[in-house]
Amino acid sequence: MEDKEFDRLLKISRIKLSEEEKQRIQNDIEGILRYFDSVDKFNEAKIKPAFHPIRIEGHPRGDKIEKFEDKDSLLSNTKTYRGFIIGPRI
Amino acid sequence: MSSYIEEFESKVKPKDYYDRLYDELVRLNPRLNAFNALIKPDKNGIPLSVKDNICVKGIEATASSKILKGYIPPFNATVVERVLKTKRFSIIGKTNMDEFGFGSFGINCEKPAKNPLDEERVAGGSSSGAAIATALLKYHVAIAESTGGSISAPAAFCGVVGFTPTYSVISRYGLIDYANSLDKIGFMARSADDIRVMLDITKGKDNRDPTSTDSKIVGLHHKKLVIIDELIDKVDEKIRSQFFEFVEKLKNLGYTVKNINLNEIDLSIPAYYLIAMAEASTNLAKFTGFKYGFKLNDFSKNYNEFFAEAREEFGTEAKRRVILGTFIRSASVKDKYYSKSLIIRKELIDKLSKVLKDAFLISPTMPIMPPKISEANSMSPVQNYATDILTIPPNLCGLPHISFPYSYSNGLPLSAQIVGSQFNDYGVISFVSEWEKNFEYKFKYNIGEI
Repeated sequence: MEDKEFDRLLKISRIKLSEEEKQRIQNDIEGILRYFDSVDKFNEAKIKPAFHPIRIEGHPRGDKIEKFEDKDSLLSNTKTYRGFIIGPRI
Repeated sequence: MSSYIEEFESKVKPKDYYDRLYDELVRLNPRLNAFNALIKPDKNGIPLSVKDNICVKGIEATASSKILKGYIPPFNATVVERVLKTKRFSIIGKTNMDEFGFGSFGINCEKPAKNPLDEERVAGGSSSGAAIATALLKYHVAIAESTGGSISAPAAFCGVVGFTPTYSVISRYGLIDYANSLDKIGFMARSADDIRVMLDITKGKDNRDPTSTDSKIVGLHHKKLVIIDELIDKVDEKIRSQFFEFVEKLKNLGYTVKNINLNEIDLSIPAYYLIAMAEASTNLAKFTGFKYGFKLNDFSKNYNEFFAEAREEFGTEAKRRVILGTFIRSASVKDKYYSKSLIIRKELIDKLSKVLKDAFLISPTMPIMPPKISEANSMSPVQNYATDILTIPPNLCGLPHISFPYSYSNGLPLSAQIVGSQFNDYGVISFVSEWEKNFEYKFKYNIGEI
């Protein structure tokens, strides 16, 4: 993987690495991808992919509003202002 | 031994039983790193530990990650809810693990777990603490979780029974996801009968997990065992010879054994890791430093800088998997890696399902003895992933499997793994129940003995 491609991946995955970490992980990833390349040799176009190991009927939940009784403990895992969660600037 | 749970319930406990149990674990934990949190139980139930990626209301859940430090779930996972509803269990702690489940040895975390049978060696991962707790405590059950072998591997290295159900049998609601199409909540205990009790209590559809099912779970106890030669070829010579002695014992107990070839099985490791990393990279996207645990305070930064700074809290393996998973999902390579892996999974499910119609698969659980922590630390990622070769096929295909000791060598357990067809969960448990009539497990510790 080219340095440019690796830097792009770091950016979109929002991962910051030190120079030492970057060298080590980039090197590891080269070895891992060589190992993963073996799957590309498998050639059975007729087989359908298995997104899950079993057949999932996948009925979505009804679009109903449910009240979460313990709102305070839910918000206790965030910083809030007047009941709103504070996040970074967009 | 049939059921430690029943034995515990039939005994009169000393008044200070739970205090003494707690004190002993507080004393041992800094040495073994089994628990991320110890709780003094206030009820009269069977000691129960919960892996730290499963939510218990009001108790910190970190999945052994610094990015989740301080996260207090405001709800119970369904599996916890169902167990506590019986009023038969008392939670004693949250168990240590590889960060988010990313590891086979229990060392990818702040405090590496140590094998209680030889403290220089790994306990196995990722449910390392669950296995250590089961090896330490006479009366206890662990709620654990497996994605690619995280129950079988530590159970094998610590010499306890570890059960992973068919995918979808136990609700994943309240589990801190690693890979949604692979994660399964299961159990560790000192006997197969205790595992059966836990499955009875926790199985079944949960509306809060759309992938959970109400499919009928069966208990077909096959007398035919199948060995896949490509798997056995990858096992350490010493373990292989001991395993074949065990197979001879099984033949004397009335089992027939058949060897088969399955070339595609070698592709199970790359296919598994490709799917797991792709799913993990999306699941970990929610950890961004303003909710769930670790928080940054400088809200003047734009969100890209803010998220990237918060995610410095991830350990090296987590960073590696997020980067790789993001790459695998890229439009330019998705068909080559991710889509191909899903096809390989389907091919393996079809082939293994045919084999398992009238048989169980049998193999050693791990291809190596538990390595020393220093040895495990010096392995490359590829060497590390390759040690999962025996536990990945059933996990990739959502097949129920159970690991149990069959012999001992220099004080360390040798464990085997039985795999059944999908939904034959009671079948694999019943196999181990039968084995336990002929074999007594050895435990170095019996903390909490009455």
